[in-house]
Amino acid sequence: MKKRQMYIRMITASLLRRRSRMLIALLAIAIGAAILSGLVTIYTDVPRQLSMQFRSYGANMILTAQEGQLTQEDVDSAIALIPSDKLVGAAPYRYETVRINDRPVLAAATDLESAEKTSPFWKVDGEWPAASGEIMVGAGVAETYNLKAGKKLTCTFAPETGSDGNEDEVVMDNYKDFTVTGILDTGGNEEDYVYMSREDLAELTGIETTYSVCEFSISGTSDELKVIAEKINGSVDGVSARLVKRVTQSEDTVLGKLQSLVLLVTIVVLALTMICVATTMTAVVAERRKEIGLRKALGASNRSIVGEFMGEGVVLGAAGGLIGSLLGFIFAQVISMNVFNSSISLMPWLIPVTILAAVVVTGAACMIPIRSAVDIDPALVLKGE
Amino acid sequence: MSLLELKNVSKIYGELHALDHVNIKVEKGEWLAIMGPSGSGKSTMMNIIGALDRATEGEILLDGEDIAKKSEKALTNIRRDKIGLIFQQFHLVSYLTAVENVMLSQYYHSVPDEKEALEALERVGLKDRAKHYPSQLSGGEQQRVCVARALINYPEIILADEPTGNLDEANEEIVVELFRKLHQEGTTLIVVTHNPEVAEVAQRTIVLRNGKVDHETINENFTGKIKHITLM
Amino acid sequence: MFIRMIAKAFLRQWKKMAMIALTIALGASLATAMLSVMMDVEDKINQELKAYGANITVVPKNSSVISELYDVEDGNITGSYLREDELGKIKTIFWAFNIIDYSPFISTTAVLENGDEATVTGTWFNHHMDLPTGETLDAGIASLRSWWDITEGEWLDEQSSMAEHEAMVGTAFAEKEGISAGDEITLDGDNEKLTVTVVGIFDAGGEEDDIIYVAVDTAQALGGLEGNIDSIEVSALTTPDNELAEMAAKNPGALSVSQYETWYCTAYTSSVCYQIEEVITDSVANVVRQVADSEGQILEKMKLLMVLITILSLVGSALGICNLVTASVMERSQEIGLMKAVGAHNPAITGLVLCEILVTAVIGGVAGFFAGIGFAQIIGQSVFASSISLRPMVIPVVAVLIVIVTLIGCIPAIRMLLKLRPTEVLHGK
Repeated sequence: MKKRQMYIRMITASLLRRRSRMLIALLAIAIGAAILSGLVTIYTDVPRQLSMQFRSYGANMILTAQEGQLTQEDVDSAIALIPSDKLVGAAPYRYETVRINDRPVLAAATDLESAEKTSPFWKVDGEWPAASGEIMVGAGVAETYNLKAGKKLTCTFAPETGSDGNEDEVVMDNYKDFTVTGILDTGGNEEDYVYMSREDLAELTGIETTYSVCEFSISGTSDELKVIAEKINGSVDGVSARLVKRVTQSEDTVLGKLQSLVLLVTIVVLALTMICVATTMTAVVAERRKEIGLRKALGASNRSIVGEFMGEGVVLGAAGGLIGSLLGFIFAQVISMNVFNSSISLMPWLIPVTILAAVVVTGAACMIPIRSAVDIDPALVLKGE
Repeated sequence: MSLLELKNVSKIYGELHALDHVNIKVEKGEWLAIMGPSGSGKSTMMNIIGALDRATEGEILLDGEDIAKKSEKALTNIRRDKIGLIFQQFHLVSYLTAVENVMLSQYYHSVPDEKEALEALERVGLKDRAKHYPSQLSGGEQQRVCVARALINYPEIILADEPTGNLDEANEEIVVELFRKLHQEGTTLIVVTHNPEVAEVAQRTIVLRNGKVDHETINENFTGKIKHITLM
Repeated sequence: MFIRMIAKAFLRQWKKMAMIALTIALGASLATAMLSVMMDVEDKINQELKAYGANITVVPKNSSVISELYDVEDGNITGSYLREDELGKIKTIFWAFNIIDYSPFISTTAVLENGDEATVTGTWFNHHMDLPTGETLDAGIASLRSWWDITEGEWLDEQSSMAEHEAMVGTAFAEKEGISAGDEITLDGDNEKLTVTVVGIFDAGGEEDDIIYVAVDTAQALGGLEGNIDSIEVSALTTPDNELAEMAAKNPGALSVSQYETWYCTAYTSSVCYQIEEVITDSVANVVRQVADSEGQILEKMKLLMVLITILSLVGSALGICNLVTASVMERSQEIGLMKAVGAHNPAITGLVLCEILVTAVIGGVAGFFAGIGFAQIIGQSVFASSISLRPMVIPVVAVLIVIVTLIGCIPAIRMLLKLRPTEVLHGK
C-alpha cells in the first residue's frame, strides 16, 4: 500500500467515523459558506434587481428628433440598439391639440401597453384603453369636463389648411367619438392630457403617425445609459437621445448608497461568520491534542501531523463550502423571490470561490490549534490521565 | 558495547530532582524491568529512554550514539526508527480500526503494509479482530494491539510503561506471554511497572527510589513465565 | 461550593470560556448591529430617496388645469395665486417634522435686450428659516434639485446681500443667448426692468434648462406679482399609502372618527397633503405619483431585504454559538465523568454546566452588544453619513435571543453528558 493511500484512508476514517464532531464542524463551515455565497449573490444581484425597482420612477431616456418629428423607423432603429434584457419599455408619444366641446385639449397618442411600463406610477381610476374608440383622460381634464369612466365624449380636430393656399375652402373638422375608460392621476401635468391609441389619433387627424418624443425606460446605471444614448446618437441620423437627469442621477445616488449598505452588512456578517467558523474549528482540533501527542510519540514529524490535520481541514472546508454554496444560493433565491418577486441569476463562478474561501478559512482556523499542539512535548500529553 | 547506556543522567524540574545521576546499561536482547514507588522517577526515565524528553544533564548512548543533545527533529526520527512504545492508557486512535492503528506506526516509519500489519496482529492473537475499533475491544485486546503496533517496525527497544496497569490478571498473563515470545525472538524489552509479578518475570530488575538506582536484582531462575502470588 | 466550582471552572479553563464568550459576543454584536440598522433603515433610505425631489406640489385651487395646458406666455392666466406670507405655515402642520424641504415658485416672462423672450422663475435657493420651534431649516432648490449639474459658476446664495440682483440660467438658454457665468443680463418684465448678474449655469436635463431662475422677490418685482406664489413643491417623509389613505384621499369626510384619526395621525402622503391644504388658503396639494409611489415601493423592498438579511445573519450567529457551546461542553466529558463517579447527580451537573455557560453568555452578550452598537454606527456613518439611532427594543430582543440560543446550544451537549458512564470516561478509550 502506498503512503498516500494510507493518508487518504486516515483522513476519511477521521471524517467518517468521528461523525458527531465532524458534523459540528461541517455544519459551522456550511453555514459560514452559505452566508458568504448567499450575501455575495445578493450583493451582486441587488443592483440589477433594485435597478428594476427603480424603473418605477419611469422613463430615464428620451428620444427626440433634431428637427421635426420622429418616424416609426427612427424609433425602431433606436430600440434595436438597446439590449433587449435592459429595456423595460419604450413608449413613443405624439401630441396634437384636439378640441372637446370646442375647448382645446392636448391629446397624446402612444403605444398604451408600453406607456404602462414606462410610467408605472400612473394611477388609473378605471381601465387603460384597450380597443379603438377608447380614451383615458387626465384628472384635470376629467374635472373640467366632469368626466367619469364610461362617459362618452367627442373629439374634434381641425386639420391645417391645405398647402395649396386655398384658405377660403371650408375645411370640415374631423371628429371621432370616444368612451372614457379611465381617469389618470399622476400629480403632474399628465393630468391635463387625454390619452388614446396611435391608430385612433391617426384616424382623427388623418395624418400618418409620427412622434414628438419617445420615452425609454432602461434598467442600468447612468454610465450604461450614457453609452446607449451615445450609440443611438451616433448611429441613427437626425435623432437625439438624452438622459432624464432627474431620474438617472438620483438613481445613481440612491442605488450607490443601497449597494454600499448591503456591501457593509455583507462584510460585517462575513467577518463575524468567519470568526465563528474559526472558533469552532479551534475547539474541534484542540480536542485532539492527545492524539497529536500519540502521533508524535510514534515518530511523526511536525510536518506530517500538520499535513494530516490540514488534509482533514481541506476536505471539511471543501465539503462545507460545496454544501454552503448550494444553501446560499437557495437563501439568496428565497430572499430574491420574497423581496423582488424575481429569481436570482445563478453565478457559477461563486461556487468555486465559496469552496476556496471555505477551505482557506477552515485551513487557517485549523492551523492555529495545530501549531500550538505540535509544539507540545509528546511526553507531557502521554503522562496526563 | 551495550545497546543502551545512561551515564550520569539527571532530570531536574525546578527544585525537584526527578532523576539524580543515574547510570544504567542495557544489553541487546535483554529483558529489563524498572520498578519503584510513585515519584521515584520511573516515568521520567521512561520518557528519556523513549526519546520523548531530554535529560537535564548526562549522556544517553543508544547504539553508541549520544542522543542527549539531539535536536527535536532527530529525537522524532529516533522514536520512529528505534523505539516501540507501549502505554498504560493504550492510546489507540479511536477512529481507526485495530489494523489501521498498527499501520499508523508503519506509515510514520516507512510505508504502510496491510498484510504485514495483519501478520503482527496474528502474532498477538487478534487476527479476527483486525477490523474492530478500539471501543469494541476489551482492555487486554487493546493492549495487544499496542504491542502489535510497537513491534511492527522491528524496533531496537520495546519500551512499555505500566503495560498491565489497566488489565485484569488473565489479560496480564497474555501480555506477559507476548513479551516472553518477543524476548525469545531477541527483542530488547524495557518494562516500567510497579507490579512485582510483572517485574519478576524479567531477567533483571532495577529499583528506583528518589531518582536514584536503589538496587538491582538478577532473576536467577529466569523462565519468562509469570508466577502468581496466591494469597492463602 | 457551587459558586466556588464555577469560579474555579473559569479560572482553570479561562481560555475555553473566553472562546465561548468571544463567539457569543460576535453573535450578539451581529444581532445588535443588524437589528439597529434594520429598524433605522426605513428612515435612512427615505432620506436618500429625497434625491428624487418633491413628492407633493401645492397649486392654487382653480389654476391647476389651465396654465400648463395652454402653455401660454403669461404663465398664469387665471390670476389665482397662493399667498407668499403663508409659506411658513407649512412647517406648522401636524407632520411638520416630516417636511424636510420645500420651495415656492413664481413664474413670469421678461424680454431680453435683444428682444428674445424668456421665462423667469422666482424661487428659493437656500432660503434660511428660523422656525417657531427653535429649529432652523435651509430650504430651496439647491437641495430639491439635487440632480442639477452646475456647469459654470455656482449656486445662487440667498444669504448674500446681492441675491436680489443675481440669477441662474439653464444651459439651453445660456447657449442660445451666449450667456456665461458672471455676465449681466437685463430683464424687461411686465412691471419693472432689472439688471441681474448670472452667477451660475446649470444642466437639469429637462425643460428647466430654458428658464432663468431668480429670487422670489426679483421675479415678483419683474411681473408686479408682489406677495404671490404660483406653486409650492414640498418634500416630505411619508408612509406609503394604503387602502385607508386612498379612501381618505378621495373624501376625508367619508371616514369614521377613529379611521380619520388614524389617517390624520399617520404620515400618509394623502394626510400630509390634506394638512397642507388646511394651512394654505385656496390650495390643492397634489401627490407627485412618480416620486411618492416609487418611494413607497423601494422603501418596502429595502426594508424586506434588510429584514431577511437580518434573519439570515441571526440564524447564522445562532448556529455558530450553538455549535461552539456543543463542541466545548463535549470536550469536558472527562471532568464530568469524574464528577459522576464521585456521586454528582445529573441535575447537579446540568446546573453547573448551564450556569457556567450562561455566565459566559452574559459576559459575551454584554460585550457583543456594545460592539454591535459600534458596528451599526460604522455602517450608519459610512453609508448614510449619519448615526443610526439606537432603539431600546434591541436590548431585550438581543438578550432573549442570546439566552435562548445558548441554552439550545447546550441541549445536545448536555444530553450527551447525561448519557456518559463514568467508567468509560475514566478508563480512557
